[in-house]
Amino acid sequence: MSVAAALREPLLDDAPARAAAIAARPEPATCVHCGLPAPAPVVDDEQRVYCCTGCAIVARTLRGHGLERFYAVRDADAPPPAPARATGRSYAELDDPAHQRLHVEVGADGVAHAALYLEDLRCSACVWLVEATPRCLPGVREVRVDLGRGKADVTFDPARVRLSQIAGHLDRVGHPPHPYRAAVRDLERRRQDRALLIKLGVAGAAVGNLMLLAAALYAGLFSTMAAADVAFFRWASMLVAVPALGFAASPFFRTALGSLRARRMHLDLPLSIGIVVGLGWGAANVVRGAGEIYFDSLAMLVFLLLVSRWVVASHQRRASSATEMLLALTPSRARRLAPTASDAPTDAELREVPIEAIAVGDRVLVRAGEVIPVDGEVAAGRSSLDAGLLSGESRPIEVGPAAEVFAGTLNLVAPLIVVARTSGEATRVGRMVARIDELSRQRATIERTVDRLAGRFVAVVMAAAALTIVGWAPWSVGAGLEHAMALLVVTCPCALALATPLAVAVALGRAARRGILIKGLHALETVATPGTIVLDKTGTLTEGRLEVRSWIGDPGARALAAAVERGSAHPIARALAALVPDAPLATGLHEDLGGGIRGDVDGRAVAVGAVPWQRLRGTPIPTELEAAIAELADRGESPVAIAVDDRVVAVAGLGDPLRPGVADDLATLRAAGWRLELLSGDDPRVAVAIGAALGLPAEACRGGVSPEGKLAHVRALRDGGATVVMVGDGVNDAAAMTAASCGIAVAGAAEIALEAADVLVRAPGLGGVVATVAGARATLATIRRSLRISLVYNLVAGSLAAGGVIHPLLAAALMPLSSLSVLASSMRSRAFREVRP
Amino acid sequence: MTMLHVILPLALVIAAGAVAAFVWTVRSGQLDDVDTPPRRMLLDDDERRR
Repeated sequence: MSVAAALREPLLDDAPARAAAIAARPEPATCVHCGLPAPAPVVDDEQRVYCCTGCAIVARTLRGHGLERFYAVRDADAPPPAPARATGRSYAELDDPAHQRLHVEVGADGVAHAALYLEDLRCSACVWLVEATPRCLPGVREVRVDLGRGKADVTFDPARVRLSQIAGHLDRVGHPPHPYRAAVRDLERRRQDRALLIKLGVAGAAVGNLMLLAAALYAGLFSTMAAADVAFFRWASMLVAVPALGFAASPFFRTALGSLRARRMHLDLPLSIGIVVGLGWGAANVVRGAGEIYFDSLAMLVFLLLVSRWVVASHQRRASSATEMLLALTPSRARRLAPTASDAPTDAELREVPIEAIAVGDRVLVRAGEVIPVDGEVAAGRSSLDAGLLSGESRPIEVGPAAEVFAGTLNLVAPLIVVARTSGEATRVGRMVARIDELSRQRATIERTVDRLAGRFVAVVMAAAALTIVGWAPWSVGAGLEHAMALLVVTCPCALALATPLAVAVALGRAARRGILIKGLHALETVATPGTIVLDKTGTLTEGRLEVRSWIGDPGARALAAAVERGSAHPIARALAALVPDAPLATGLHEDLGGGIRGDVDGRAVAVGAVPWQRLRGTPIPTELEAAIAELADRGESPVAIAVDDRVVAVAGLGDPLRPGVADDLATLRAAGWRLELLSGDDPRVAVAIGAALGLPAEACRGGVSPEGKLAHVRALRDGGATVVMVGDGVNDAAAMTAASCGIAVAGAAEIALEAADVLVRAPGLGGVVATVAGARATLATIRRSLRISLVYNLVAGSLAAGGVIHPLLAAALMPLSSLSVLASSMRSRAFREVRP
Repeated sequence: MTMLHVILPLALVIAAGAVAAFVWTVRSGQLDDVDTPPRRMLLDDDERRR
């Protein structure tokens, strides 16, 4: 812990020291731990260089426990390098009784179990490292990692080791843990997975054995086979097929019955009819000792269907575990001050507690870079807040004592002490979350194209079967019945049933590999037809940070401004300091929070800050710069005045820069037929200015829209009958996402936006949205192509069957052939295929 | 061909045994996570050699 603190403090709080370190080291070194370049290196006692404190903490922990073998194991596995994320936190809140009750299970033998989400679990080396925990911490019995879910099951002896110690150790080896909140959902999901897998296994065994029996029967057609032996094989087939398929196909029967009760067509209905008729007719033929049996083909159909269902289910599960993982990363703890503590509390007066334990009137300490956990009032401290996730506003808000602050906003500059007025579900964010949950439940299920197609298909097949009976009636009713049955079984929509799940499974898998997680399957169908895309501005189109966009006045003042601003962590200061990265640090710095900063550079007095602050200090502003200030405000940029020797010499306009490639992505979407709109919580002038830069007409850009306004706008668009895709990242977009036909959350999205979205794009910017739209279109094209293939097959086989000329051998050959062609067609799909440069 | 009447049921009984074994592996949770064990196995072996 002390190591962590010692290493971390200079990095976060001592910007001048870091600046000096950068200046002294022109060549970026490489990190000893992760191998990435280290432009702002952290150096330990033995002069080893790290890219960040995270890597330094991890490397130190590894050496301390004799776990250096990690590096050898990792090299064998070669994952892409990434800096370690160790935070050096104490995790004291995990020992709080409120947390223990919820997340720790103590068995009768006194051994405790807890599940934790771990960040950055990526490779074999991570598994090895985490599972080596018992060697480093006595009292830990076992740690088992589940790589796919990013989860670790910890078994420990609570009398010898505390959960916080285990968590602290995992943190220091680079895998910060978080409480695993999805335990109940997990149990249910595992039960379903296992049930499906067992059915899959039973169907697979049935296919294999029925094929063997069928092969013997087919071979017997060409040689002499005793009638008694034929009957014996047929009875054996029936005894295997009827119970095995009746069990394995039960999920289809259940959905089919459900859809009958709901009077809605579902693909499982024709399927179930096909399976039941096939089994029944085959069994009847076995009993009466004549006619065809279809058991092998039916078993193959059921097996393939279960396989594709299994693949789709596992992709969806992966997408939802990834979402849950991201949800677990949001803070669930607060630093509570003892009632007697002063406004400058010592470590002993601070206690990390779960958010559930915060009561109204409690004081909590929020350090710079942390999210405010409660709604309340500032008791002490001055700072700037980023409320972007909540309001969509990109500019920081200045707060001081008695200011009202909301949970979910990010504290940027200095520590604040906040008196809680409400916490948890009663906060503004909490109420918004509750409302979004309600909206998601009400979301109407849309009718699927494939279900409509299936409905028509069943009607056609039924009509054809009736026609066959009627057509054969003049000659023989018995023969007519038999041919109709053959038709029903042969056209049993094998390929039709496979087309959709296969194409979807391929699309989901490829999309996940490209960092696009698709939770709602209907999303694929929705975004395949162009409609309206509603875009959020901050964080989606723009970077969500400030940058100097224009400079009016003396260009020589840039270096002076950068030298002064280097000493501050304020977002405006960081933007100005980035102008001249190698500027020397000013001396005699003095910062007025919410105003500006002044200092001396080479004997010149430099003051940089807000225009009202400069006026307050009595600094004269020349008329041409006054005009520039007004013009900047009209353009939606925030003006900052730079004064040298008590005279304003230049004005900088700060704005939120566009993400690279956004303009091209929008052009691609527009060319694909989408109508684009921009909805922002930011100032309308900013919204229009950004829209103009992207070629959006002013009437398609709305600014100053509240979350409720976004929801109402999306609703109005949908009432107009359009497909509406909402793309966003913030809490303010989440409600609109649930109301849209499809919600897409982009990288860095807020917790609730993740929950509300149907599609989750892990890369920043709109590239993922373009890929989703194109991929969805390609997926639907694949489904249609597969359906055409199966339709042709069914037409040929169906007419042969109706004509009574179909030979059992031909039917047996055609059945897998059509399935195989659909399989090939799905695999060849262009959906989400990686674009190689 | 009377031996068929013995061998065929016997084969089906063996197949049923295989299915039962599969059901047991699923129920005992061995197939819940198929990503981690292959990696763990490799590392455990290295560990013992050392």
